[in-house]
Amino acid sequence: MSGAATESRAAILATLRKGVAAAPFAVPAPPARPASVSVTDSVSGDAWERLAAVLAPLEVRLRMAGTRAEAAKHVADIARERHASTYTRWDTALDGLGLDEALSSLTRLAPGCCQELAQADLGLALAHGALIESGSMVLVAAPGQHRAASLLPPASVILVPRRALLPDVSYLPALLVRHSVNGKLPACLNLITGPSSTADIELVLVRGVHGPGVLDLVGLDWDD
Amino acid sequence: MEVTTRHFRQSSARACRDVNLRAVLDHTTRYFQSKRQASLETFEGRDAHFARARAARLNALSRLPELLEQLEANAIAAGTIVHWAADAAEARAIIVGIAKAASARVIVKGKSMVTEEVALNPALEETGAEVWETDLGEFIVQLAGEPPSHIIAPAVHKSRQDVVELFAEKLNLHGESIPELTLLARRALREKFLSADMGVTGANMAVAETGSVILVENEGNIRMSTTCPRVHVALMSLEKVVATMEDAADLLRVLPRSATGQRMSSYVSVLTGPRGEGETDGAREMHLVILDNGRSEVLADPVLREALACFRCGACLNVCPVYQTIGGHAYGWIYSGPIGTLLSSLLLPRSETRDLPFGCTLCGACKRTCPLSIDHPKLMLALRERTAGGGGNPIGAAHALLARHPLAYRMAVGAARAVDPRLDLLARLPGLPGLSRFVDSRRPPELKTPFTARRRKKTQKERS
Repeated sequence: MSGAATESRAAILATLRKGVAAAPFAVPAPPARPASVSVTDSVSGDAWERLAAVLAPLEVRLRMAGTRAEAAKHVADIARERHASTYTRWDTALDGLGLDEALSSLTRLAPGCCQELAQADLGLALAHGALIESGSMVLVAAPGQHRAASLLPPASVILVPRRALLPDVSYLPALLVRHSVNGKLPACLNLITGPSSTADIELVLVRGVHGPGVLDLVGLDWDD
Repeated sequence: MEVTTRHFRQSSARACRDVNLRAVLDHTTRYFQSKRQASLETFEGRDAHFARARAARLNALSRLPELLEQLEANAIAAGTIVHWAADAAEARAIIVGIAKAASARVIVKGKSMVTEEVALNPALEETGAEVWETDLGEFIVQLAGEPPSHIIAPAVHKSRQDVVELFAEKLNLHGESIPELTLLARRALREKFLSADMGVTGANMAVAETGSVILVENEGNIRMSTTCPRVHVALMSLEKVVATMEDAADLLRVLPRSATGQRMSSYVSVLTGPRGEGETDGAREMHLVILDNGRSEVLADPVLREALACFRCGACLNVCPVYQTIGGHAYGWIYSGPIGTLLSSLLLPRSETRDLPFGCTLCGACKRTCPLSIDHPKLMLALRERTAGGGGNPIGAAHALLARHPLAYRMAVGAARAVDPRLDLLARLPGLPGLSRFVDSRRPPELKTPFTARRRKKTQKERS
């Protein structure tokens, strides 16, 4: 830090301390956070159904797969529907689902610089969390789990394991901690809630302004 | 942008006469209000969530120096380079320095009011770099050479036809429908994202306990700005820090609902340092610039500091009858509406903002709407008091004194009306500085026959 920056830091903190001391705050104790609706709450219905209902207004379709083969078939169907000829996907996290075989007619682009991945038509990633209340998919970046996969291609597919289902955003702190490596938090965690959208011209909603214009989910409905 | 808050009276009067602007504002504010209302109606435990969000913000303000130091320590531990800027000039110098060190030729920006506040773009352009606003609305107003007119919808004053003409003139791109225009912008800006050396964003919040910066958006331009360029700079005004990730989660549950009526914005990024080892994308270098620019002084004011709790959802703008009438540009700086009046008055020199707090009906719609229960009218009155105390209009002070004593008031008005029944000569009386300004802004009530006289007349009529 330069001399000027050090001086600014000290001056800012000193002014703040003086301010707080001159007029201490009385912060009322917050009420308890309303309880989250449990994922397994039978009264509120099936978790997958609730997730699909929240996502429907966002034009996000959730397809359910009971087996790995079924999941791969859904992904192949989506690729066909989106007229994809190239794709990029997360590595280890999605290995074992047979996705490359299902997409064998497409060219797979390896993770790398954005210029190359911008050519991909389809991006595949895995949800580390799926927040039912808001329909948000939680994606944690890591080696082999590139951020661009859910951002650069015009069509995005996120595979959602059953174990990822969580009630709401109050689980965000726990998710971050769960994905820490040697006490270090992940450099990037994204909540993705529907496709990229804008209403900046005359408040008319348009999907797909910078990120993917379509988002498909595939629910992996088995225990692992 | 040029600060023109001192011309608020004239610019708001001009805006009142703009029929097209009124139509746009009517449509916009109703749109946002209805989206928000629909979202809040199904928000279970809404009041408790609002109260938790307010507590998170106030708790942060009450521990601001301690939390900023904690944020700095944890951000550094995560690999972020932290800078402190006392004012706009320092913030510009720091970010220009980062751009020069990175030899940045193309710079992409996410929507950020605070970068507008410090007038960052011209400073970066002076280095010879191309600077691109990438939020569609900001991109449109950048091309038009105008400031944003709404906190969350910067180009809301522009029609589709305006954008058609703007894209044709400035970019030689031709489209007609709104989806076409959006696609043109996507293509034009995609090139910039892919060639950018540096991405600049604001920060919706930063978390002291983790050193994380949290960014909220719908378009994906902020994700692009933090994923593709090798350097990311986040400029954060110092009050945006929160203590814990739990507090951040409480705020995330409220902010999108109050801003756009969404349960969650399309994208929320929690960034904790530059890309990790083995990762193939994300910035290699992350900077966090903590900006004061007058805010630390506000913290000592037990009333006005409440304005620092705001998390910029923009809901108060949409319900404000003054904003609904004059729009954002009339306020003369980047911040508009009730919260904009407060922030501009606190951050700009007092001489520049004397009239702003008087551009308020004190109807209280902002306070009722604010999810953080900020008492805008109370703060507005405090600002008015401060303005008057700092050499306000003596005529106004005399009027206030009389108004507190009804008998004296009636006698004074009666005396004045004896010589000037319609009170239209008062403004032209010589030797009373400030009188014309005072009278100009007020329309005295119509002269009425006193009640007793009316009753007497009625009785006489009945008798006859």
